[in-house]
Amino acid sequence: MIENPIIEAHNLTVLYGRKPALWNVDFSLPRGKVIGIMGPNGSGKSTLLKAIMGVATPTSGYTKVYDRELDEVREKISYVPQRQDIDWDFPASVWDVVSMGRFQKRGLFKKLTSEDKDIIAESLEKVNMLGYSKRQISQLSGGQQQRVFLARALAQQGDLFLMDEPFAGVDISTEEMIISLLKEMKDAGKTLVIVHHDLHTAQSYFDWLVLLNTRLVAAGPVSEVFNDQVLTDTYGGKLTTISKISQELENKEFPIRHK
Amino acid sequence: MNDFYIIFTASLVAINCALMGSFLVMRKMVMLGDAISHAVLPGIFIAYFLSGSTGSLPILIGAAFSGIIATLIIEWFTKRARLQSDAAIGVSYTLLFAIGIILISKFGQNADLDQQCVLYGEIEYISLWLKPVFGLFELPKQTIILLSVCIILIAAVVWGYKGLFITTFDPNFALSTGIAVGFWHYFLMSGVSLTTVVSFESVGAILVIAFLSGPPAIAYLLVEDFKKMLILACAIGILCSALGYYAAKWLDVSVAGSISTVIGLVFVFVFVAVNLLKSKRDVISA
Repeated sequence: MIENPIIEAHNLTVLYGRKPALWNVDFSLPRGKVIGIMGPNGSGKSTLLKAIMGVATPTSGYTKVYDRELDEVREKISYVPQRQDIDWDFPASVWDVVSMGRFQKRGLFKKLTSEDKDIIAESLEKVNMLGYSKRQISQLSGGQQQRVFLARALAQQGDLFLMDEPFAGVDISTEEMIISLLKEMKDAGKTLVIVHHDLHTAQSYFDWLVLLNTRLVAAGPVSEVFNDQVLTDTYGGKLTTISKISQELENKEFPIRHK
Repeated sequence: MNDFYIIFTASLVAINCALMGSFLVMRKMVMLGDAISHAVLPGIFIAYFLSGSTGSLPILIGAAFSGIIATLIIEWFTKRARLQSDAAIGVSYTLLFAIGIILISKFGQNADLDQQCVLYGEIEYISLWLKPVFGLFELPKQTIILLSVCIILIAAVVWGYKGLFITTFDPNFALSTGIAVGFWHYFLMSGVSLTTVVSFESVGAILVIAFLSGPPAIAYLLVEDFKKMLILACAIGILCSALGYYAAKWLDVSVAGSISTVIGLVFVFVFVAVNLLKSKRDVISA
C-alpha cells in the first residue's frame, strides 16, 4: 500500500446499463507522479476518470481524493475531458473556453476579475495559444484544440490533473509541448493522471501505471508493471498484433518513434 | 394599429423563443422544446377546467407544471427504461398532446380553447382584447403577458448566462467543477415551458417550434460568438415576423403559417449564401 495516497479507489464498479465499464477496481496512487492509465478500447479508462470526478456515478464502491470526499477537494483538481466530448463547432472563442477554468473559483454570478484574466492569459501563454485567444474554436486544428483544453485546466490552478487522452490525434509539436509542460508541472509538485493508449511511449512518459481491462490488471511503478505478462493480460490477443506490426516495421527500418 | 399589434406580438414571441431556442439548438435539444410545446396542452386544459377561467395565472402554472412533468417523463424513459432519447420524446409528447386534444374535444366546446387555436393560434384577432397599461396606452391582453415573460426571460438569461453557457458547452467539465448541471437543465426547461405556453395561445404550436429552431439556426450559420448568436436570433425572429405578416396580408393567408414559411425560406437562403461565400473564399485563398 502507498502511504498518503492522492487517489484511492475501493471496489469501484460502474455499470452502463447491464454492461460493466469498470468491475471491482481497487488501487491507490502516489502523489507528485506522472501516472498513466492504460488499457484497450472500452476498458474503462475514461470511465475511471469520470467516476473520480463525479461525472459517472459508481454502481458500488467509491473513490477518495486526498483522503476526502470529492466535494471538499474539488477546487484542487483540474479535469481535462476527452477532446471529442464536446462540439467544436460551438460559437465560442478560445478565450471563452479557457475562462471557464475560472468559473469555479469566481462563482457563476460574479464577473471575472483582472486577476482571473491574467491567469487565463498566462495559461494560454503556457500552451503557446495566447495569439489565438480571439479565434473561434471551430477553426483550430486537433492539436490546438487539445492545447485549449489544457489551458482551461491550467486556469483552474489545481494540484491534481486528470487528463483524458491528451495525446490522441495531436501533431508532434503539440505532443512535445505537452510533454515538456507535464515535466514542468511535475517539477512544481503537481500530480498528473493521464489516460493514454500508445504503448510505445508509456515507459518514457510515466512513472506509474494503472493497467485496466474493465477489471484492474496491475498498478504500480512502471519498472514493476510494464512487462510482457501484464501487457498480455491487459491487451489479450490484441497485443500480439500490435507487437507483430511494430516488429515488422522495425525490420523494414521504418521510422517508428521510440522516445 | 392592428398591424402594429400583430407584428409586435409576433416579435415578442420571436424574442422569447430565440432566447430559449439558441440554448436548445446548441444542446441539440430542439425536439425537447417541440415536445414541451405540445405536452403542455393537458396542463393548460386541466388548469382551465379547475379554475373555470381563461385567466392567465392558473393556466400558466398548470402549463409550466405539465412542461416540467413532460421533461421528467422523457428523462425517465431515457435513463431508466434506456429508450433512445428521440423515441422517448416521440412517445411521451404525442401521448400528452393527444390527452390534451381528447380533453378539449370532450369538455372544451364552450371554452375559448379549441384544436384550431392550439395548432395555428389566433394572432389575427389579437386586438379584440385590448387592455390599458398603466393608463397610458392600450395593448392586447396576450401581448401584455408576452411582454412580461420577455422581461423575465431576458433577466433570467442575463443572470444565469455563465451557468447556461458552461452546461451547454461542456456539461461533463461543468459537473467536474461541482456545478449543478441538473439545476441549469431544469432552469432552461422551465423557461422553455413558460415560453411555449404563453406563446402558443397567440401564435399556435407550429409557429412556436419554427421560432424556437429557425432563427437560432440561422444565427448559428452567421456568427461565431454565442452572445452575438442570441442577439442576432432575436433580430432575425423580429424580421421574419414583419415579413411574414405582410406576406400573409398580401396573399390573404394565415399569419402563423406565413411567418413559419418565411423563417424556413430565410434559413434556406442564408444556408446557400453562406456556403457559396465559403466556397468562393476557399477558391480565392487556394
